[in-house]
Amino acid sequence: MEAVVSLDPMVVAAQHGDADAREALARDCAAIAWRVAVRLTGDPDTARDLAQDTVVRCLRALDRFHADRPLAPWVAQIVRNLVRDAARRQRVRRLEPLHRTSDDVVLEPVDPTPDPEARARRHQLQRLVWQCLAALDEAQREIIVLRDFEGLAYDDIAHVLGVPRGTVMSRLHRARRRLADEVRRRTRGGSP
Amino acid sequence: MTATCPDRFDQALLTGYLDGELTQADEQRVRIHLEDCAACRGAYGELVTLREATMTTRLDEPNDLQWDERPRGLFSALSRGFGWLVLIVWAVGTAGYGLWQLATGPENMAEKLMVFGGLFGVTLLFVSILVDRLRTARTDRYREVQR
Repeated sequence: MEAVVSLDPMVVAAQHGDADAREALARDCAAIAWRVAVRLTGDPDTARDLAQDTVVRCLRALDRFHADRPLAPWVAQIVRNLVRDAARRQRVRRLEPLHRTSDDVVLEPVDPTPDPEARARRHQLQRLVWQCLAALDEAQREIIVLRDFEGLAYDDIAHVLGVPRGTVMSRLHRARRRLADEVRRRTRGGSP
Repeated sequence: MTATCPDRFDQALLTGYLDGELTQADEQRVRIHLEDCAACRGAYGELVTLREATMTTRLDEPNDLQWDERPRGLFSALSRGFGWLVLIVWAVGTAGYGLWQLATGPENMAEKLMVFGGLFGVTLLFVSILVDRLRTARTDRYREVQR
């Protein structure tokens, strides 16, 4: 029996030259790319440039993209390569603690808990976690961003990073432990 | 540092368990182990707290990620193009007629020099910007992208 393949109608229309679909696709790619890039670099301006470069690459390679695959891993793979290239050329600074978060990157904590005190604690932790991302090495930061911020499945992360699925789990675990250690260190021995 | 598991349980499985990415057999193994092991329960609780914090954080995307507005249909594109053409023809015609009238009119040389001198300056500025724009367009990374 043949497997049912579901194609993304927007991607298919864009591949057939539909201008509205191309524009919608470009917007989606830019948004995904910016989110990933800003979390990897910590710099919104660099992220904006990388997002534009990613859109260009996505549109150029659109004919080779399989419309039955999710868009986010593909875009994430492109932006990840661009960030690495940029870092290699030393155009991107190492991620630095974003004390200027309130000016440059606006965090919007989405919290379902109605308890104001718990919500305040959660928001404080969210800000701290964002700052602690800087303490991770590049590979650890990548995997945290792809899984915990972008919500990619292990198979998709394996595809993006070009590693086996088992490596995704072990690397992700090490990265989370490292992040937890850093959060604990900054909160002077308290639990995250 | 959290306490070490006395059974040397592979704690990477806790991450897979948290993400719902384990096989049924591994999932059951983790569940049973968590019931007995306080150290792993503590480590797992920490992972849960951290993941909740990351997964519920959103970033406010900048507005300039939006792409330029462009005409949406054939009529809109044609009327916009025709509108620009009419506007340019009108501006060139009107300006040309006015300048011709001024050049051949009875005004004295000082008045003519003031008008034509100003226009000459504006033209120089325009040409300078135009040259820069053309130079930039040749090296624009996005020129091949059809928006």
